[in-house]
Amino acid sequence: MDTSSPTVFVNGELLKLYMGRRVRTVVQVIRNEGGAVVGQSTDNQQLTVKGPDQSVPVMHFMEVIGVADGPQSIRAEICTDFGSNFDTASYNGLCKLANGQFKNLFL
Amino acid sequence: MYANHYDGGASHFHGGGFMPSQATQTPDQAGSSKTRSSTTSTTVPLTIKQITEAYHLNDERADFLIDGVEPSLVKLLGRVLNKAERVTDVSFLLDDGTGSIEVTRWVSDSFDTDEMTKIENGMYVVLIGKLKAFQGKRHIGAHAVRPVQDFNQITLHFMECIHAHLDNSRKATAVPATTSAMNDMRAYQTLNVGTGASGDIREVVLSVFQEPASLARENGLHVNEIIRRLGLQEQKIREAIEYHVEVGNIYSTIDDDHYKSACNG
Repeated sequence: MDTSSPTVFVNGELLKLYMGRRVRTVVQVIRNEGGAVVGQSTDNQQLTVKGPDQSVPVMHFMEVIGVADGPQSIRAEICTDFGSNFDTASYNGLCKLANGQFKNLFL
Repeated sequence: MYANHYDGGASHFHGGGFMPSQATQTPDQAGSSKTRSSTTSTTVPLTIKQITEAYHLNDERADFLIDGVEPSLVKLLGRVLNKAERVTDVSFLLDDGTGSIEVTRWVSDSFDTDEMTKIENGMYVVLIGKLKAFQGKRHIGAHAVRPVQDFNQITLHFMECIHAHLDNSRKATAVPATTSAMNDMRAYQTLNVGTGASGDIREVVLSVFQEPASLARENGLHVNEIIRRLGLQEQKIREAIEYHVEVGNIYSTIDDDHYKSACNG
């Protein structure tokens, strides 16, 4: 049982608050640029994901778990293909709740 | 009468069991309290952080208290790590982003084995199981483990955790008649009158004025319409209306019997 490294649910806006910390977010893959993936966050910001996993197709949603290393950038540890059917509005709402009123349930 | 049971009864509503169906099966807990029997079983969706912070009641019986509820079963969702298969059981670590916990799934027949074969490391799964503690360490005895296929389920699970937490904490602390009155107005309306809790009536009357249909009407609503709708005594409704007029929530329109909400709702 280990709560020493919880991953925070973030969207584009919240990412900047957790610099250097482990975060998780879902982005929609826009394009691959060399060693990085550019994705659109659930609150319509562009985020850059650097990491080994480049296998998620464009337009699919991808969950990124990694370390926030810039206001719009994540150094990914794990990327998961979430398919093409994902409700961004709900996830965005969850990010706000999990960092706001109900933070104590998550962090 | 209803409210008196809540007021006079234990805030720890697990005890007694006289009103278990109200305590454990509330209408607005749509998915979060799936009861098996109508008495004491509750399945609560939780984050692992909630489990680690749960108050452990009794070492022998391994009962936990979370938001005032002793869940019989818990529902968790997370990634599988360190899966280990043994002869009689399969165990793994479940990490949901808020923490991680050891899970054991006892396999006694081919159904169980088949279910667990599909589970791989790194996969998202939903599980239902029993929360246990042994020598101070908490773990889960899983009854069912299923892979997540639609990833919206992840968002849904955490929303359910928030919803269940809100619901359970409200019951444990607040005067239930006030908060549940809004949702269960129709069922409890005649009983609420008996409580004399004027706060409830005011909220309910205001909510009628603030409905979109009411806001759309130029002259607002007639007092008799409110009376007919809510089934409460005229005196009490007029008192509520007077209060709202004083405070500025509603105003009279064509005559003293017609009122309209001053807010946009």
